[in-house]
Amino acid sequence: METNPKSTLIVTRRSPCQGGIAKSALDTVLAMAVFDQPVALLFQGEGVLQLLPDQATELLGRGSLSRQLESLPLYDIDSLFVDAPAARHYGLDLTLCALAISPLEDSQIRDLMLQHHTVLGF
Amino acid sequence: MILHTLSAAPGDSVYLDCLRFVGEEDALLLVGSGVYGALKGSASEAALLDCGARLFILSAHAEAAGVRNVSGLFTMLDMAGFVTLTEQYPRQLAWH
Repeated sequence: METNPKSTLIVTRRSPCQGGIAKSALDTVLAMAVFDQPVALLFQGEGVLQLLPDQATELLGRGSLSRQLESLPLYDIDSLFVDAPAARHYGLDLTLCALAISPLEDSQIRDLMLQHHTVLGF
Repeated sequence: MILHTLSAAPGDSVYLDCLRFVGEEDALLLVGSGVYGALKGSASEAALLDCGARLFILSAHAEAAGVRNVSGLFTMLDMAGFVTLTEQYPRQLAWH
């Protein structure tokens, strides 16, 4: 199996409502991209809820995670993946998602992890 | 081969997600609240014993949590044992 020597997969597993951990995952992705490190992002489990459209986080006085997510292509971050069974579990319609994102089944997610040198879970 | 370190409590969605992805060639180390998963006779213990991976528990965390008398299928590790385990697996994935 091909493994890029420096590639990193970030796995984000918490909903935007659970503290700042979803934001930390995203900040890590952006920091890696700024330093030209190959990086991929996987939304897993409850983390798929970050992809819900029309999040009005300003009502809670928080910054918008979804707006930041939408900026990922501007940083040439286009390796974006979503846990398809979790998306189905939460009834998420991925066609409403503003990002071009690839749904993966369980065995494909495992392959994705093995294709990266480092896997960081958030 | 992945070393999974699981610190989420059983019942947490992350705990269940971890068990979905653990493979038979992997190792699973329970730390923090994850040690409650090894409570004897619990549903979470049954799920762990069923997952096929090599099973470890960080002994200091288990003792601190009062999780004793666990199944012999779990190997108790001290910190030095944890370090040795990380040397055996090229990838480590934290679930918390």
